Amino acid sequence: MIWVWIALAPILGGLVYGGERVLRARMQRRQGPPVLQPFYDMFKLLDKRTLIVHAPHALLGVAHFFVLWFTVAAIFLGWNLLYIVFLHLFAQMLLILAGYSVRSAYSHLGANRELLMLIAYEPILILVAVGFYLQSGSFDIAQIVRGGGYLVQMPLLFVALAMIVPIKVKKSPFDVGEAHQEIVGGVEIEYSGLFYEFLYMSRFLEYIFIYSFVFIFAGVSYGLGAALVAGVFLLVNLVDNATARVRTMHMVKIIYAVALSLSIVNIMWIVL
Amino acid sequence: MLLTLILLPIATAFLTLFSSKRMQYFLSGAVLAIGSYQSIVLFTSAENMSFHLSSLFNTVIIAADIILLLYFLYQGTKHNSSKVIVLAVVQLVLFLYIEHAASSGHSAQVVVDGLSKYTMEYDISSGHSAEIVVDGLSKFMFLIINIVGGIIVLYSVRYMEDEEATLRKKQLFIAGMFLFLSVMNAIVCANSLMLFFFLFEMTTLASYQLIAFRNDELSRTNALRALWMNQIGGAVILAGALIALRSANTLMFDTLLQHSGGMLLLALALLSMSALVKGASVPFDSWLLGAMVAPTPVSAMLHSATMVKIAPYLILKLAPVLGTTLLGGVLSIIGALVFVAASYLALSRSVFKEILGYSTVALLGLMMALAAIGTKETMMLAMVLMLFHALSKALLFLAAGVLEKQYHLKSIEEMSALVHRAPKTVGYIVLGFVSLTLPPFGLFVGKLFAITSVASLLRERPLLVIVLVSMVVGSALLVLLYFKVSSALLSNPSDTLSAERERIPYGYNIPLIFLTLLIVGSGAGFIIIQHNVLLALLAVPLTFVFVLPRVMRGMERYDRTDPYHCGEKEPFDAALVYFEPSVRVKRMIYWSFTLLFVSVAVIGGLS
Repeated sequence: MIWVWIALAPILGGLVYGGERVLRARMQRRQGPPVLQPFYDMFKLLDKRTLIVHAPHALLGVAHFFVLWFTVAAIFLGWNLLYIVFLHLFAQMLLILAGYSVRSAYSHLGANRELLMLIAYEPILILVAVGFYLQSGSFDIAQIVRGGGYLVQMPLLFVALAMIVPIKVKKSPFDVGEAHQEIVGGVEIEYSGLFYEFLYMSRFLEYIFIYSFVFIFAGVSYGLGAALVAGVFLLVNLVDNATARVRTMHMVKIIYAVALSLSIVNIMWIVL
Repeated sequence: MLLTLILLPIATAFLTLFSSKRMQYFLSGAVLAIGSYQSIVLFTSAENMSFHLSSLFNTVIIAADIILLLYFLYQGTKHNSSKVIVLAVVQLVLFLYIEHAASSGHSAQVVVDGLSKYTMEYDISSGHSAEIVVDGLSKFMFLIINIVGGIIVLYSVRYMEDEEATLRKKQLFIAGMFLFLSVMNAIVCANSLMLFFFLFEMTTLASYQLIAFRNDELSRTNALRALWMNQIGGAVILAGALIALRSANTLMFDTLLQHSGGMLLLALALLSMSALVKGASVPFDSWLLGAMVAPTPVSAMLHSATMVKIAPYLILKLAPVLGTTLLGGVLSIIGALVFVAASYLALSRSVFKEILGYSTVALLGLMMALAAIGTKETMMLAMVLMLFHALSKALLFLAAGVLEKQYHLKSIEEMSALVHRAPKTVGYIVLGFVSLTLPPFGLFVGKLFAITSVASLLRERPLLVIVLVSMVVGSALLVLLYFKVSSALLSNPSDTLSAERERIPYGYNIPLIFLTLLIVGSGAGFIIIQHNVLLALLAVPLTFVFVLPRVMRGMERYDRTDPYHCGEKEPFDAALVYFEPSVRVKRMIYWSFTLLFVSVAVIGGLS
């Protein structure tokens, strides 16, 4: 059963992504695209003529997708949370190296921003994992979801996590990675057709990845987990509609000053 | 066996002075083979060994020590450096005083052998502790020194061919590298504080001479700076030895560590301060950065792979006692903060070797932090990091040497789109970066375990939260640093342009291949001995590297295009980002670290 879910993960993520576009449109009193739009996009992309700059660049994008899928599979299988964070780091590095491997100003700019996003959210993810470890005595997700009461003991870590969700799903005020096409798509710019579809699907997997962290906070009660995910999902979209984008360095500073401090305070609180 | 490790390099150093190029390759290859073999045999043997030195030998060392200190004094006056002079004088006075006190105690023991009370008070050397003790830690260090060091010496033969210097000077250089191997082999099994001091000063001398090798003004200044900063290290060792002699009546590491109470912690504090100096922790980072003007094999051997490893080595040696004390806590916090600060400072640098130098300072800080925590597990992890760091950094420096000699490149600003011209060298560099940061390589696994280990200690020692957060943030900063550099190297034009082929000369390529194999092999070995299936699965994403060449052929069916330039005609290579702290912040960083450095002695004295 779990393997079916793993196999369907990109589709699941696609539905979330489609649903989000509808939600955001409704918040802005627009009609919005249909929920299945990401899949219509897929057929359209596969139909297009694929142009590539050079083979390693295209393949690194594909590798990024597959490693990300592997990471999501590791989450579903209940692996060690730290391994998962670092597998995700590996996946991101593949994307960043791809961005650097072409001679395009936009691609480099995008990769630089991806790198800064990475150093902003990575420490928080690890500290959240450490928080779970201190509470449950294990880094394994399988073990963590058997416990409970994380929300009570780790409220500040939850806030810190909620702060980095917009970075991962590329929402205001931290949508620096592509900045609504301001830098012409950033690392994605040199991909087209089939290979762009892989990057597009990676985005769906990112949703699953980051919202899994939110879900784990509920521990054993899956109902609460669903509620948490729905709540953060709604909040992130609300904030996205209500705020303007901050500059990249500004984002790093905000995350380090606020989210990191919150995490440290929470961890101190647990251990003392 | 131990004698082979120490004497063989000395003998070859002597032979090198009279040998041709071909002979030098042979000699260095032989030393690498024999040294590696011996150290592996030693490492796998279980027993510890100890040797007493004859009193004649001890006298020779004392004489050599005095000559060495006088030489520093002479260099100080010759180059008009008051810091070097003052420190040399301080060291001389301390040294003579200790030798006097120790020898009077020693003779007292001989004279009044019957009076047990008196002998107990002055039971200094001889007795049960030997001057040379080979334990597990020394054996581990032999591995790093002889394998990684040997590879670097092999490389330096080829490097010297491309260097502009007289034949005699080249021979001297390689002989110096051999001698250095022997000094390093000796220092990691020195149990006597005075022997340790002598060898510590020998490594300082090696740094000084080899940094000044090119003999221009910049090299001179930097060499002098390295000299006086390392002399501080020597002076605190002597001060520590004096305290050890006064309070514990011993000049031996092992007896000192069995002691308790008294001024023991002050002695240990002073000794660990010398580790901070040798490890170029902030605020002493400038000597290691300055050392980067030296020829690249020197940077690789002394200033990254082996010599600076004395710092974590020394802390590891003291760690069993430091462990639970406040002093150990402070040292681990300093190490962890150095990890973050040095990674941050590196982000403002553009010279490739300086970036590598700063990342060495950072990782040494991390190793010292883990060592100072002092549990079995963290000490083991510090050793793991030492090994993998030595391999990866040696690879990076040797690749940097290729860039320097074959392409005349030093700054990353000039390296844009290098992958087009030098795909193999860039491949080595990126592999080096990846092996320092990403799964499934050894250094990454070490860091991963370190996070787990520190997290498990948090409840008992809440202060370690500083170490934990520094570790997490510092690792992120290092990722930014390394891959920022890759951004310059990697940008490759479209396949519509034909690629060039690169040939790295064998003398450079063979050491690089050795290191690559070692990084991959030992990393895999490390994962296998963990018996952790999930950990091994971290290597799965790497399989795409092997699949890649196969898939590449299938990529012919897609059409090629040039990157999108938004209408600009200007070709683009890379946009490097720098993060420079303001002068005020920088000054604050240096002042706080100076304070922390001094506080080590204060805490050692008070507790």
